[in-house]
Amino acid sequence: MVNRIAPGFLPRTLNSFPGGLIIVTGSSGKSTTTKMLVAALRAHGTVVFTNQSTANISQGLTSALLERASLSGHIAGDIAVLEMDEGHGALIAGSLTPRVVALTNVMVDQIDRFHDSDMVATMLAKIAARATGTVVINADDQYLTDLAARLDGAAAVARYGVSAEVLTANPRGLGYSATTATRLGSRDGMVLTSVQGRRATVSIGGVEYPLGLPARGTHYAVDALTALCTASAALGGRFDPALAIDAISTIPPVFGRGEIVTVRGQQVEFVLVQNPASFQLNVDSLEPGTEQILVAIGSDVRDPSYFWPVNTSGLGRVRIASGSKAHDIALQLAYDDVVVDRIEPDLGLALDDFLALPEPLAGLKTIIFSADSMRRTRAHLGLATNKEEQE
Amino acid sequence: MSRPLTIVSLLPELLGTNGDAANARVLAQRARWAGAPATVVEVRSAEDLPDQVDAVVVGSGSDSDLMRARDILATMTTELRTWATAGVPILLVGTGWELLSWGIELADGGVIEGLGIVAGRAVPMPSRATDDIVVTSRHGRLIGFENHSRSYVGAEASPLGPVVSGTGNGAGTEGLVMGSLIGTHLHGPVLARNPGLADHLLRAALARDGHKYHPGQRSLAADEMAKAARNQIAVRLGLPTE
Repeated sequence: MVNRIAPGFLPRTLNSFPGGLIIVTGSSGKSTTTKMLVAALRAHGTVVFTNQSTANISQGLTSALLERASLSGHIAGDIAVLEMDEGHGALIAGSLTPRVVALTNVMVDQIDRFHDSDMVATMLAKIAARATGTVVINADDQYLTDLAARLDGAAAVARYGVSAEVLTANPRGLGYSATTATRLGSRDGMVLTSVQGRRATVSIGGVEYPLGLPARGTHYAVDALTALCTASAALGGRFDPALAIDAISTIPPVFGRGEIVTVRGQQVEFVLVQNPASFQLNVDSLEPGTEQILVAIGSDVRDPSYFWPVNTSGLGRVRIASGSKAHDIALQLAYDDVVVDRIEPDLGLALDDFLALPEPLAGLKTIIFSADSMRRTRAHLGLATNKEEQE
Repeated sequence: MSRPLTIVSLLPELLGTNGDAANARVLAQRARWAGAPATVVEVRSAEDLPDQVDAVVVGSGSDSDLMRARDILATMTTELRTWATAGVPILLVGTGWELLSWGIELADGGVIEGLGIVAGRAVPMPSRATDDIVVTSRHGRLIGFENHSRSYVGAEASPLGPVVSGTGNGAGTEGLVMGSLIGTHLHGPVLARNPGLADHLLRAALARDGHKYHPGQRSLAADEMAKAARNQIAVRLGLPTE
């Protein structure tokens, strides 16, 4: 409503923070990166306004702002950090003047909306072109590297990337549409030098720092690296790596993303898959021997072709395939030689029966779900939800 | 069969955007489930080509990779022509199909010359077709997903079949059939979702060596899942279920 009554409200407010606006965008990892970045900035005493929920649409963003605005329309805070969907970001970028734009990666994501990597890269370029201070890019991503080379030079470019060892440890790559041929040197940016379970090391200015992650997986370590590089760009000389790393290392696990919850007296691991790359990385980083797995794919996955590049054979056996796309995911699992005990599109029923199974002999009961199935799972089990999941 | 059935997946990265390359895996699995050993050979350049080729799968790619993909495919024009003439089953999906045609007309007026192996050419459509697609064919009712910005003209005489729902080639039909070569806009795992089409290709591949094909037990189980998935879409579109 406000968007119609006061059409300039959104950009005017977002552009008015004394420390400027920071936009985090890209195909994957935005949400975790934004949370880590906010924690790192707050650890430096900065007062941050952020869209706690993934309020990606103008409507949501406007209401998030209105909740905090005084009568004059002023929002308390030194700096604004916004997670933006690439499609929506490209639409409203023209009216925004972000100081820092952080780009996570280009992946073939949400196929029916964004069609292909070129289109995603074009939208990200539109957002990046608005940066007045720094564009932070993932140097392992070829599309982002090309995009940075085409910027007009108004903004500086800060780079982050993984070491050759980290890339080698992920034989299927990191999921980017195109990966650069060479790795970033530690003199040219921040480098992720190792990942082991929930521990990682990063090299900042030639100094190695240990880092704790909110969940297992290289993608979380890359998210942390993106947050550190962006915090450094935002804070300039005030950036203290140790302070930022401490803040990131103590972040609680994000709901649904490698989170371990106690439900009906037993521990269950939740694994959220948002795109083929995160699906593959999650399959590859499952605790070996995990014997009780439920996979639920919901209506948010419009075209089931989407997940077929993923090799799911590492799952071995799935007790129940569920969600509105239960038959489609079961079909893929079958062709990957994964034994599927049962197909139960009714997620509530599937969850009840899965949780009633005797304790697993190895690993935790593990539920792999798409975002839609995650929301339904949490609602069915009466668990608290992230704010974003209530939308 | 004494030697494994060799299924070539051409340019699985450049032309595999929607999981189309998975169709090679689907053919290999169905062959194995029928008791015939099978292997998938990923071919990224002419040097990778195996001596024996029993089936070929080419998928769809990004428009910015069209020239690169065409230039690599062009080095295999002779082989592709020989396979097509010899009755080696070939599945072409999306841009992989377009690249083997006479050519691709781009929205900006440019033209990418195709390999000229199949009749017809791709021309821009006013808007992108992104939806479920249903086609009547002699391999059963085909149900899949299409996501393309060009229609296909000049092959009206030999389509896969009429379009029941969706866009397809653009004039009421979908796909192209030339001997045991099939071109289609149904992207992703079209063969897993439509086992009738998969078995048609497998039967053709095995028949060339004098072997008969009977779907294995595990195929039947997978085909039940595929049927349930197809029926779900049929119900959504208000079409009768199978």
